[in-house]
Amino acid sequence: MMTQYEIVVGLETHIQLNTETKIFCSCKADSWGAEPNTNICPVCSGLPGVLPVLNAEAVQKAALLAAAMHAEINPVSYFDRKNYFYPDLPKGYQITQFDEPIGKGGYLDVHMPDGSTRRVHIHKLHLEEDAGKTKIEAGRRLVDFNRCGVPLVEMVTEPELHSGEEAAQYLTELRQLLRWIGVSEADMERGHLRCDANVSIREAGSTVLNTKTEIKNMNSIESIRQAITLEAQRQIAAVEAGERVESYTLDWDADTGTLRKMRSKETEADYRYFREPDLLPVKLSEEEIARIESSLPELPYARKMRFIAEYQLSAYDADILTSERSLADYFEETVRLSSAAPKTVSNWMMNDLLRLMNDLGKSASELRLRPAELAEIIDLVESGKISPATGKALLRKVEESGRKPSEIVTAEGLGLIGDEDALRSQIAAVLSESPSEVANFKAGKESLLGWFVGQVMRRTGGKADPKRTRELLLEILRK
Amino acid sequence: MLPEKITREMFDKLVSLAALELDEEESEYLRTELNHQLAAVKELSEIQLDEDVQPSLHGIECQGNPPRKDEWQPFPDPDAILALAPEREGRYFVVPEIAQPGQEGQ
Amino acid sequence: MNTTSLSAFEIARRVRAGELSPMQVLEEHLAQIAAVDGIPGQLDPPAMDAREEQKVHAFIQVTADLARKQAEQIQAKLARGEDPGPLAGVPVSIKDIFCVQCTTTTAGSRILYNFRLPYTATTVARLEQAGALILGKTNLDEFTYGSSSESSAFQPHPNNPWNTQHVTGGSSGGSAAAVAAHETPLSLGTDTGGSIRQPAAFCGVVGLKPTYGRTSRYGLIAFGSSLDCPGPMARNVSDAALMLQVLAGADPKDSTSSIQPVPDYLAALAEGVRGLRIGISPDYDHIAYPDTETGEMGIQAIQPEMNQAVREVAQVLASLGAEIVENVPMPNARHGIPTYFVISRVEAASNLHRFDGVKYGYRTQKPVQDLSELYRVTRAEGFGLQPKLRILMGMYVSAAAHSAHYYQKALRVRSLIRADFERAFDPTGPYRLDALLTPTTPTTAFRRKEVLRDTVLMQYSDQMTVGANHAGIPAISIPAGLDPQGLPIGVQFFGNDFREDLILQVAYAYEQATQQAPWRQEVPQALRATEVK
Repeated sequence: MMTQYEIVVGLETHIQLNTETKIFCSCKADSWGAEPNTNICPVCSGLPGVLPVLNAEAVQKAALLAAAMHAEINPVSYFDRKNYFYPDLPKGYQITQFDEPIGKGGYLDVHMPDGSTRRVHIHKLHLEEDAGKTKIEAGRRLVDFNRCGVPLVEMVTEPELHSGEEAAQYLTELRQLLRWIGVSEADMERGHLRCDANVSIREAGSTVLNTKTEIKNMNSIESIRQAITLEAQRQIAAVEAGERVESYTLDWDADTGTLRKMRSKETEADYRYFREPDLLPVKLSEEEIARIESSLPELPYARKMRFIAEYQLSAYDADILTSERSLADYFEETVRLSSAAPKTVSNWMMNDLLRLMNDLGKSASELRLRPAELAEIIDLVESGKISPATGKALLRKVEESGRKPSEIVTAEGLGLIGDEDALRSQIAAVLSESPSEVANFKAGKESLLGWFVGQVMRRTGGKADPKRTRELLLEILRK
Repeated sequence: MLPEKITREMFDKLVSLAALELDEEESEYLRTELNHQLAAVKELSEIQLDEDVQPSLHGIECQGNPPRKDEWQPFPDPDAILALAPEREGRYFVVPEIAQPGQEGQ
Repeated sequence: MNTTSLSAFEIARRVRAGELSPMQVLEEHLAQIAAVDGIPGQLDPPAMDAREEQKVHAFIQVTADLARKQAEQIQAKLARGEDPGPLAGVPVSIKDIFCVQCTTTTAGSRILYNFRLPYTATTVARLEQAGALILGKTNLDEFTYGSSSESSAFQPHPNNPWNTQHVTGGSSGGSAAAVAAHETPLSLGTDTGGSIRQPAAFCGVVGLKPTYGRTSRYGLIAFGSSLDCPGPMARNVSDAALMLQVLAGADPKDSTSSIQPVPDYLAALAEGVRGLRIGISPDYDHIAYPDTETGEMGIQAIQPEMNQAVREVAQVLASLGAEIVENVPMPNARHGIPTYFVISRVEAASNLHRFDGVKYGYRTQKPVQDLSELYRVTRAEGFGLQPKLRILMGMYVSAAAHSAHYYQKALRVRSLIRADFERAFDPTGPYRLDALLTPTTPTTAFRRKEVLRDTVLMQYSDQMTVGANHAGIPAISIPAGLDPQGLPIGVQFFGNDFREDLILQVAYAYEQATQQAPWRQEVPQALRATEVK
């Protein structure tokens, strides 16, 4: 009988906090697009004699993330030195949190497409500084310290994920959470969210942890899915062939979709951790912790479930409208301001607003078209003051001009013609131009009504109120 | 009980971890001194401590400024830092390539 | 008699009053340096004749141009009627472990040869702000690692102005010598295990190690980051108080600097010692010294004149109305050096990681195969024996396999050492001390080369001082006589947290009461030589 295998995956994630400045100095945290070694100072480039000074905002954001991960926020946490030599580490040690990190325990519930939920525990959440970047050129290494000192939170999961799919879903939901609570831009391509995976296999039903390999350099969720799946397959094939899985580090090459062996991991390096004497313990009072915990917004999954229950949205719509917090806020604000049904608002957003956002490459919070304007447009359509087509066109006009919808309607004469005298004269003109159709109608071919409506619409450039037009036509033709 | 002695082999490993290189004379002298210093700290291990004796980080408990505000204050002269580099190319610090035993490719 | 004999206090008073030109002060001090100092410390020094051997060699670099510019600024301020600051026109030398823009900063090491940093230490900036003239950078043990100043890569090392065949002590040896030889009335030193107080005692000057965090460490190249304290060195107690007043205070660039308010040290000086309780401990009249093979601790007597000086100082203070409290137990004092051997080395090894030839300073000129060879060869060539030994010791005792046994244990023993002081100073405890009086050093200045190679013996010259660094408390060393060889004897007062004011007050009372003592009329050899000339 074939052996059934279970894949065991643990993820080590590094999250770049979106603070204005670095964690221990006042350089800008984000160096995107900057020339090498321009965003540096004596502290982050490791000059002698200077000292780290902790950024309060990094602590706040890490604590908020800990709260969102259901972790316990440590009232007193410490920074430690992790000592090793590497050219991207200018001090020769990294300031990190070793045994008393800011967050202890915690978990993220991962919701799989089949409806199941997997609770993934993290055993530690800590603050640390990022290292610089090096690149190889002509057999030498070029070093850029711009990234040194960028605030990171490191979270390591327990080995509780069991496929590339699950790992990808974990990252998807983590990324959503990070943006949701506003602690990170979580852009994987820009390295705001980095992930290494530890992969091993075991016989199904077993609880042992076998030798694992570590995969690095996966910079998209798709890479994570593929790389883990591929590595698990490789390990299964190796074991099936009677070989042993050896511990080493693998580098993912996204271009070729292959894994490359980097180095064997025979001995753990000794980092000689000790308390960072240049920094004081990080203290958070009970009140501060309570304030941070209470500032945590309703989290994505809870909000999605509430949207389904409270607004009778489909699971699909609720999922999309809660994909980002700004979008969910946009939806609820529009619902509050509009007299239309929530489902109607949802339809407008799902069909039209998202398309507009997509075309413009803007997020909900970046639109000039605010919920008040969207609510106004929906209400104009719902009350028959403008046609649905005009309403859709208005979205773009408001976004482009920044003017109020009603202003545009008035200025451009986009309002529907509901005035009876005006409609009657338009209808009279149509009927006088079409004597044979009138005769046919009167002879019993009432299906021509739609054709008459269409003619009126054409004459009025689509502005005739279709409902009123139909009523008046019937009245006149049946007379 | 005699204090732990660092053998030549242990010493050489330590020297390599420390990213140092020593000639024969330095090695012998420093290993002797290191062993003398370890003898001098032997008494630490003999001190009986009550459970409640906590480690002390600075002697006194420091009362410093609270963590700083998240405000950007660029260092006025990053070029002065770059100018200290023993070797550079353009705006990069330059070092020789890292040898990685067991690495495939490159 | 020129301005080199004046106190900092008197120079500042006269300059501020317009009675003395800062330029005159500067030129007379530069002339003194030219007369007594000899060639500055340098890598690959020339052969020295007997005359050079007799010189003080306190400096690595004399910054006459910088000081002239500062003197001109003082003059301009005076001309504009502005306050030129409490140290207006006072020449100050800086231990070459502080970063000062416009000067080289060597730390006494080849690895920082010809190194100019684009920033100035907070303490130095405060001195400049207060109107001081920065006359130069003084020699020291390499990276401050030593107690004789002989281990500098920049030679010749400083010599003791009282007898140039003897060491200055260290690591702030150049600073102590510069003050003793009237080259500058003030010098900025650092104290990690005794590096201000021990050379102050050896050279017959006043040295104060403040409470940890009282003075900023920003711009000080770190040795033991949890122990390092910048502090004043001066020829008398009031000058030390004046300088501390300028140095002390919170610094946003040093998270460990204290936000405690800074009292007026000068105002408290003359309040006398009536009713103050001064302790003496039997645990400070000898040292516990290890057999370097077996590690067995034995009791070793200290130079008898040291204990004699403590008794004489106590008598003077008693005669002024202080209450002398005998037999204050300090049972953990003996653990000071073993604990220091662990903690300071772990921090030092880590602090030296950044010197790797990548970003600044020395890089080997030899061709290398790869990065790791670059690190090894650069560090092998750039560091002297003392940094190397501290790196090895620090790495050994903090290795994951040994940390619990050594490093973690040492941190807990540090708490015991602190607890001894807490008990002694506890206002509701049995001793209720205002200050604890001890010898500063086990011996007076030893002969050059006598101790250098014995790193354990060298470290034990800090046995009496190191407790203040472990406990974080302030301590001051003041001159209290000369031994039969004519070498200065120092005594030390430990104080409670942030009570620099009290120990200055006690030291000042003793100093004032002994102004006429015969030993105070003696002059260092280096000064006698200039007088002859």
